[in-house]
Amino acid sequence: MTFRNVFIAIVAAFGLILSAFLLNRARPSAETNQPDVAAVRASGKCAECHSRQQYSVVHEYEMSMHAAKHVNCLECHRPAQNQQGHEHHGFVIVARLTAGNCRGCHEGIYQEFLRSRHAAVSWAAVYGAQGLTAEQVAYAEKFHPGYANRPPHPFTTLEGPSAMTSGCEQCHAVGKPNADGTVGSCTACHTRHTSSIAIAREPRTCGQCHMGPDHSQIEIYEESKHGVMFNAQHELLRLNTRAGQLTTREMWVPTCATCHMSGINGNKVTHDPSARLSYYLADPITKQRPNYTLAQSNMREICNQCHTKGLIDRVYRQAEQVVSVTNDRVKAAKAIPDALRAEGVLSGKPFTNRIDFVYFDFWHYDARTAKHGAFMGGADFVQWHGNYPMLSKMVELEAMSAQMRKEHGGRR
Amino acid sequence: MAAAANWRRDHVLWVEAFVLVNLAFLSIDIFLAHSENAFHHREEWIPFYFSLFAAVLLAVGLVARELYDRPRWWVLLGHLIGALAVLIGLAGVVYHLDSRFFYEKTILSLTYAAPFVAPLAYTGLGLLLIMNRMVPAESIEWAQWLLLLTLAGFFGNFVLSLTDHAVNGFFHETEWIPVASSALAVSFLLLPFFRPVTRGYLWICALVLLIQAAVGVLGFILHGIADLHGPSKSLFENVISGAPPMAPLLFPNLVILGFIALWAYARQLSKPGPARPRSNPEPVR
Repeated sequence: MTFRNVFIAIVAAFGLILSAFLLNRARPSAETNQPDVAAVRASGKCAECHSRQQYSVVHEYEMSMHAAKHVNCLECHRPAQNQQGHEHHGFVIVARLTAGNCRGCHEGIYQEFLRSRHAAVSWAAVYGAQGLTAEQVAYAEKFHPGYANRPPHPFTTLEGPSAMTSGCEQCHAVGKPNADGTVGSCTACHTRHTSSIAIAREPRTCGQCHMGPDHSQIEIYEESKHGVMFNAQHELLRLNTRAGQLTTREMWVPTCATCHMSGINGNKVTHDPSARLSYYLADPITKQRPNYTLAQSNMREICNQCHTKGLIDRVYRQAEQVVSVTNDRVKAAKAIPDALRAEGVLSGKPFTNRIDFVYFDFWHYDARTAKHGAFMGGADFVQWHGNYPMLSKMVELEAMSAQMRKEHGGRR
Repeated sequence: MAAAANWRRDHVLWVEAFVLVNLAFLSIDIFLAHSENAFHHREEWIPFYFSLFAAVLLAVGLVARELYDRPRWWVLLGHLIGALAVLIGLAGVVYHLDSRFFYEKTILSLTYAAPFVAPLAYTGLGLLLIMNRMVPAESIEWAQWLLLLTLAGFFGNFVLSLTDHAVNGFFHETEWIPVASSALAVSFLLLPFFRPVTRGYLWICALVLLIQAAVGVLGFILHGIADLHGPSKSLFENVISGAPPMAPLLFPNLVILGFIALWAYARQLSKPGPARPRSNPEPVR
């Protein structure tokens, strides 16, 4: 009697254990096949709290390609090299991610980004070399000579830190030097938990910084035929197509990313938005970039996916004419305050006299807008937001110059 | 001498002491468990305060019965605390499942949600209190109820160790030990409800229970080691967010209850003829 009971009990126990094994096997391998215990726990534990606080991060993550590829929270939030983690409910994490966290899986992309003007050069445009290491400056100078090893912008002192922190830095931090030795943050374009390629391809993503009178690319794009078509057909485009698989069948209408970065129809993808740019259009006097020929050839190849050579040649020819004429106009405008300084009529530090601002607006707003408009199909920006205000300001500069000379002569 | 012998053989007293100690201990356990959630909901304080007050009231009832010959106090307080404990346990299951599982209804949400079986510890203790007052102590029925509640406890341990270790993905193979051992306890303790058993079988059950106790002690040590090597510098943080050190102690805890049940069962088996109540003949109602 006892043995029969023992036998039945053992069979029942085995049944229970077997059902436990089967239940555990039914779990998705993404939850259990992780490199360590912390990563296994993170596959569900993080959402346990964060579905009740900072709700959106879990939902955003669930929609992401990272979730589809079974990359869990801890893989990104684990302290990367040179990062100091902190304890967080049984995990050691970093809350604020840098490019250092992304490069663990996307090193090639990070290296492309490092060569771009989005990296150290972007930061240096506001704060100069300050905060960047000597190596970071030297590396950026190799690709953009004179743009990283520079003093801070005069406005950093003239307008003060609050204007810089809440203003300029919000965009220029795309190339901020991080404490871990890396530069920049990928989430500036890809957003945080969605880690989205589609969002990075949206014109508005670029437009969050490339807007306004000093770099009005988004406004120009929206005026252009590209922008008009995008607004009309964006719901038909497949912006989330994987890089490397993108063709003109998914994106027959280009966004900023298509022309400047995407590897459409088998072209090379790049995270260096400068790679296809042949001119420094943002400068007062525009000059060719060091890689002018290659960069223009790369861009023409992208244009050629939709347009014929004749049209591409015409656009480049007309745009280069605008660059040339605008350069002449900026030189002429610059000569006015320069002459006043040489004559001693204008003295004091920069941006302490009205004429400095008129000249600054001349090249920084109007000349840039005309040049960008010419390359991006923004006719109105070439004319009414570019050449026309340049003409008007030139008259104003000359009038101011005459008035200042008169006043200066009177004082003497 | 006789009084001492009565005290040792009084099953009712042993069960009462078991419930009292468990309720008192649960206040510490709940404090640690809900600290992980930072007592996010006010309701999470209910089991903490209930455990504290219930233990004190039970002690009062026990003193009233044993020292002042007021069994009615003991009965009333026991029924009240028992009923509340049953309710709190059942409400806890609903609250724990409501944390995530009711919305997602996936194995993932069941695995990572608050442990839904854990609150049933209150229900089990409440039922013990009520049973101890409603069923004659010297009856086979009393022993069977106690065995059933012990069995339910081990089934809870089976589910808890399965879901808790699933959170770790059973990363260490040792995490399967409590799942297997509690399955063994469940099946061995289940059998007397379906088949006649002998004293020999009860001895085997006792052996199975001893294995559970050893597993619990081993678990306590392993959980402790895991917490000592946890990510935080603070041991408290590691304890509340890491491996719960108290959880494996549920095994030896239930072993105590199981031994009382087996003991009472064996005594009933040794009686000639149909089991009859001898001491505490009628439950005090």
